[in-house]
Amino acid sequence: MRPVITTEALTKQYGNKTVVNQLDLSVPAGSIYGFLGPNGAGKSTTIKLLLGLVKADSGSMRLLDREITDKNRLSILSQTGSLIEAPAYYGHLSGQENLQIICTLKDVPETEISRVLRIVRMEEQKDKKVRQYSLGMKQRLGLAAALIGNPRLLLLDEPTNGLDPAGIQEMRELICSLPKQYGMTVLISSHLLSEIDQMADHVGIIDKGQLIFQDTLSCLHEHSGTRLLLRTDNDKAALQLLKRSRIPAELKDGKLYLRVLEDKAVIHAVSALVNAGIGILRINEQQMSLEDIFLHLTGRQVSL
Amino acid sequence: MSSSFIRQLRAEHQKGRRRHLLLIPFIFLLFQILWAFWQLNYADQEELGSGYLLLFHHLPMMNTLLLPMMTAVTASRLCDMEIKGDTLKLLYTIQEQTSLYDCKYLTGLSYLAAFTIGQGLLILGLGMSYHFGEPLKWPMLLEHLAVTFSVSAALLAIQQTLSLLSASQILPLAAGLVGCFLGLFSLFFPAPIARLFIWGYYAAFPAAAMDWERDTRIVHYYEVSFPAAGFLLFLAAAIAIYLLCRTITARKEV
Repeated sequence: MRPVITTEALTKQYGNKTVVNQLDLSVPAGSIYGFLGPNGAGKSTTIKLLLGLVKADSGSMRLLDREITDKNRLSILSQTGSLIEAPAYYGHLSGQENLQIICTLKDVPETEISRVLRIVRMEEQKDKKVRQYSLGMKQRLGLAAALIGNPRLLLLDEPTNGLDPAGIQEMRELICSLPKQYGMTVLISSHLLSEIDQMADHVGIIDKGQLIFQDTLSCLHEHSGTRLLLRTDNDKAALQLLKRSRIPAELKDGKLYLRVLEDKAVIHAVSALVNAGIGILRINEQQMSLEDIFLHLTGRQVSL
Repeated sequence: MSSSFIRQLRAEHQKGRRRHLLLIPFIFLLFQILWAFWQLNYADQEELGSGYLLLFHHLPMMNTLLLPMMTAVTASRLCDMEIKGDTLKLLYTIQEQTSLYDCKYLTGLSYLAAFTIGQGLLILGLGMSYHFGEPLKWPMLLEHLAVTFSVSAALLAIQQTLSLLSASQILPLAAGLVGCFLGLFSLFFPAPIARLFIWGYYAAFPAAAMDWERDTRIVHYYEVSFPAAGFLLFLAAAIAIYLLCRTITARKEV
């Protein structure tokens, strides 16, 4: 897949603080790219740099196969939609009237409004004033505004922030449907691995303005050391048996972990234990938390 | 004017729905109408004989007292919807920062124009209602209206910048209120110092002046020649203020 977003050595400083540091981002076309990092890591600034809302100190950016300059910025962005930090809206106007303004500015026919309202499932609430909307509805309206003009690229900055679990689920389903149904590429930032895990197929992890990981989600899982927690009626005996059978395993904090994930290896380990008369009580797949992954990748603890 | 700019102006008009923006100049004009009726009802026949000169002398002072606040409220009503709704980040991905500033400014100017036309009609209406003895000198009326509009336009640029850059509208509105007082006080300052306060410029180019004789207590209004060179200099300064404010707003990262 050809990248839709490419940055090279992108850097932004505020005073002496480097917020985005030599960032080399590569977002493949048609992907949902999860941009992951703790609060203050530089995610929002990166998205603002891509949109030209803040100026880069150095480095270059390519969006949709074109190098971004001050002159062509708006022309390139006409093929993108964005939702930055909080939903943008005019509270004194209805949802429909809000979208009319975007249609006017983007020079898109107002027939687009019913299409995007249908996508975000807000046809019923379109005539209500936006200040009466819940946060979830405002977020969906923001997404509808971003979808006007059928953009090729969507940049969403923490779109599930402040939503209740049902709202998060709804937003997630909406975002996941976009690449398949409309051929869009989506870059979504979050500080929650679980969220990215359920939506993205590619991941970039940023910390202190630097990209510390960038690859597919499956590669991250390999990298993150996902493991199996094994509960037996005799963990110590089970560990000795597994070691004798050359199956990677460890006993940590009184818990037995199997460091293999392939189906064949798991079957082999379980068979060996059962044949030796060790009772297996439970097998759970344990994923590293984002904190653990950060610890693994950077060697330092972060507060998320 | 490009089609893109016209579209952006139309979007500004769409944003203004249900904001009742025209009420702002109307309310300030209503205040001036009430003041004018009060002033003219107490005027004697001799004063009514030079009624237009009386108005051209007093209205600039009324404008100094009221219009800085009117421009502050107009700019605030136009800009606070962007701040409250956090829309600037979205808008700046669709339009240039300078274009948004220009469109808002032109929209604000339309309300200032409505007020200025209203004040012109008020002067004409008062002349007819109170049967002023002198005929209206149209150049004087046009000069008065040109000063009213252009000083307000310069203030609008300042107020719009404050409103777009402030997270809360309290600061720009307070600036408007302070401007009213500064403008009024500047009328009592020596001329070189008074020229430093833009809010007082409503009364800096008067079409009429007043003599008051202490002994007889007779007030005499008379025509003064319009300081065209000074006004042109002010217009140049107003354009510079506008361009400076526009640049400051455009440079602000959101």
